[in-house]
Amino acid sequence: MKKVININFQGRIIPIEETAYELLKQYVESLRKYFALEDGRDEIINDIEGRIAELFSERLKKGTTCIADNDVNAVIASIGRPEDFDAQEAELGGATPNQNQSSSSQQSQQKTNSSQQNYSYGSGTNRGRLYRNADDKLIGGVASGLANYLGIDPVIARILFVVFFAALFWVYVILWIIVPSKSVQSNITKRLYRSADSKVLGGVAGGLAAYFNIDVWIPRLIFALPLIVGVFSGPFGMFWNDWDMWWGPRILTGSLSGTLGLTYIILWIAVPIATTASEKLEMKGERVDLNSIRDTVKGDLENFKSKAQNFSSELKQSAAQFGEKAKEFGQTAGNTAKTFASEATPIARSAGSGVGHVIAVLFKAFFLFIGGILALALLGVMAGLFGAGVVIMPFKGFFLESGWQSVVAWSTLLFFFGIPVLAFLVWIIRKIAGAKKNPYIAYVFGVLWIIGLISFISLIAGIDRNFRGGARIQNDIRLSPIKDRLTVKVTESNVRYYGGWMNFGDGIRFTEDSLVLSNVGLKIEKSLDSSYHASYTRYSNGKTDGQAEDLARNTSYTVTQWDSILYLDKGFSIPRGEKFRNQHIMVTIQIPIGKRIILDKSVNRKLNRWFSLGNSRGRWRDWDWDNNDGYWINGDWNNNIEYIMTPGGIESIDRMDEQELKKGKYKLKEINNSNTDHENSENDQQNDTDTRQDNKYRYRPGNDSTKPKTIIDTVVNTSTTYNDDANKDEEKEDSREKNSSVLNTSLYVFGRMFQQ
Amino acid sequence: MNIENTQSQMRKGILEFCIFSIIRRGEAYPSDIVEEMRAANLHIFEGTLYPLLTRLKNADMLTYRWIESNSGPPRKYFSLTAKGEDFYKELEATWNELAHAVNALANKKESLTTTITPGNITINPENTTTN
Repeated sequence: MKKVININFQGRIIPIEETAYELLKQYVESLRKYFALEDGRDEIINDIEGRIAELFSERLKKGTTCIADNDVNAVIASIGRPEDFDAQEAELGGATPNQNQSSSSQQSQQKTNSSQQNYSYGSGTNRGRLYRNADDKLIGGVASGLANYLGIDPVIARILFVVFFAALFWVYVILWIIVPSKSVQSNITKRLYRSADSKVLGGVAGGLAAYFNIDVWIPRLIFALPLIVGVFSGPFGMFWNDWDMWWGPRILTGSLSGTLGLTYIILWIAVPIATTASEKLEMKGERVDLNSIRDTVKGDLENFKSKAQNFSSELKQSAAQFGEKAKEFGQTAGNTAKTFASEATPIARSAGSGVGHVIAVLFKAFFLFIGGILALALLGVMAGLFGAGVVIMPFKGFFLESGWQSVVAWSTLLFFFGIPVLAFLVWIIRKIAGAKKNPYIAYVFGVLWIIGLISFISLIAGIDRNFRGGARIQNDIRLSPIKDRLTVKVTESNVRYYGGWMNFGDGIRFTEDSLVLSNVGLKIEKSLDSSYHASYTRYSNGKTDGQAEDLARNTSYTVTQWDSILYLDKGFSIPRGEKFRNQHIMVTIQIPIGKRIILDKSVNRKLNRWFSLGNSRGRWRDWDWDNNDGYWINGDWNNNIEYIMTPGGIESIDRMDEQELKKGKYKLKEINNSNTDHENSENDQQNDTDTRQDNKYRYRPGNDSTKPKTIIDTVVNTSTTYNDDANKDEEKEDSREKNSSVLNTSLYVFGRMFQQ
Repeated sequence: MNIENTQSQMRKGILEFCIFSIIRRGEAYPSDIVEEMRAANLHIFEGTLYPLLTRLKNADMLTYRWIESNSGPPRKYFSLTAKGEDFYKELEATWNELAHAVNALANKKESLTTTITPGNITINPENTTTN
């Protein structure tokens, strides 16, 4: 149901639907704008309106009751839209409005009294004030309005807003609210195109050269340089690089070429190619008026010369003839004043109600903000995963079976993680550059991503299978008798790796031929007899239990005793060719009651940063870490402090009552140094578990002293320090730990992912 | 250089000539001009034609008069002025020369190499222009 109104249109009564009337009004308005600078524009508009009215009445005569949307659209299609004239007139080289304008400024030099006629096209009609551009906008027209005001390309303004999204977001919103909107005639005609004339691959370099007004060889060289370097370094690289011919690491070494290559491809997809004369002019940033079009045409023709010289020179002549002719028109017509020029663009339709505008803008801005944050976060995650994937790819041999699994891993990396990033970048740039919609790009990206998704799922399934089996091997360490105090230190593993080319922090380290893991846990228990005992257990997963057992057996780990000092290896290595199947070590030290232990700095510094896939209840078997009664030491574990084993658990020696201790009794000091202990003991009565969290090593009188084992279950992830007297380096170490902890955590998450 | 570009270069030069040719045969109504040109496979928007006619009229090449129509308000019919007639003559001469030259070149069958004698290989297209 639509409302029909009657209009008097060029002397005819036309019944027309309201929506169709709006369409018609917009169309006539756009024509008026287009011919604004033209002589006799009223006449032209009148003629066209008359013709439209005639077409309408023909339709009405045929039996249509009233003019509907599709009637108006059909008529518009027949008369043509201003964009169509643009194309056609540019091609025709006929007198465009701009041409008349330029000739009128020539004319104005002859006239004496016309100061306002010094107006020339493109000199910034609305330079004096800042407007939001109502005609050329993506969101609020702020960027293009600003660009117009500052005389720069809107694309640049938009890219700045996108790149500095966080910083400029509120600037944008505020400008959106306070700056009035107006159709600003752009004085910028320069746009980024791909050059059709000077292209090697996609014309990107040519377009950039034209845009920045530099020689075309400069961007070409920049794009080609990494490729050239890569080609040359490739063969030579083999001498100093022991990598097999696998090309994965080259992505890293050639990250520059990767970036540039990706940039090129994105621009190739996103930037439109300049084909028509007016597009070519826009590419070079010249004004689209008759002279420049003629020049371009001439240029084209000169190119063509070698092919058909005779023909082209004829055309050139006629083009020149046209130019002169058009100038003549312009001069004769120039007498009519151009006062309309300055008011060429109609004043913004309505000021609008201020408050409503603000609310609407804030509303839009809110969603824009949320959307932007979400998109950025998603993009960041994807890019991060992609980056991590690329980094980890060289070591996929440790994780994956060869063959299809590595194919699937690559396709996951490229398609599942890479495609969304690429698609987002392409979308942004196309949006900024104002490229027309192209559904095929979306289809292609969609299909590739689905492929990536399928790869991802089968990769996960494959990895899951790799970890199905489990095994553990326990080895006792024969200890020579220790008096009453054991010191535990961590050494470098028997093989040292200096300057391994990639270091993931402390948990995991890749060297050229092996994966070094510090996946070692330390557990302290109460001894059942009166002497110290130590043992270590090697755990592994595998496709089958048999494979897991082999892998566990192949893990080499040593614990050595020197007097009363126990040296633990910092880790173990998995040679290239072997697989990483979650091998890890648990060292267990049993302390008899009344005996003491000191954990050296080298042990506890790395507390709470460890890397294991194995401490959750999964389907995988033999994850027996015996931490049923242990707890993670999350708080500060003081360096070089003596601890003593009491019937109730391990306790810092400082907190024991010395007198009582001599008598063979285990009692806490009467007066505690800190208030928190008082509080804790109060809490103790109310809730035992609370205290356990607050103070893990407290002596608990009410505790069952016959509880068999595991008082402390601490996990030691030992240092990567290269010298044993590491204390000096401690601070440096600590800062590095912080950096690496993120990666460790992500690797941990990665590991957990395998389990799910 | 692609084919559409070349084609549009060629068309642009002849648009006015075509319009003159149509109007010269007698007073013409713009939409009839468009119809005729479309029938001859020269596509043009009315939105392009009207401004062109107005410009030519302002340049005294064309004139018009109102003719009553039986279906509504009077219509504008365009005709050539004396100045327009002269202009048409010039265009026509140019066109004929051009058409002749192009046809002659386009229809020529023998290849250039057959006309080159061993001693005279310096023939190059640049020297054969009519400039």
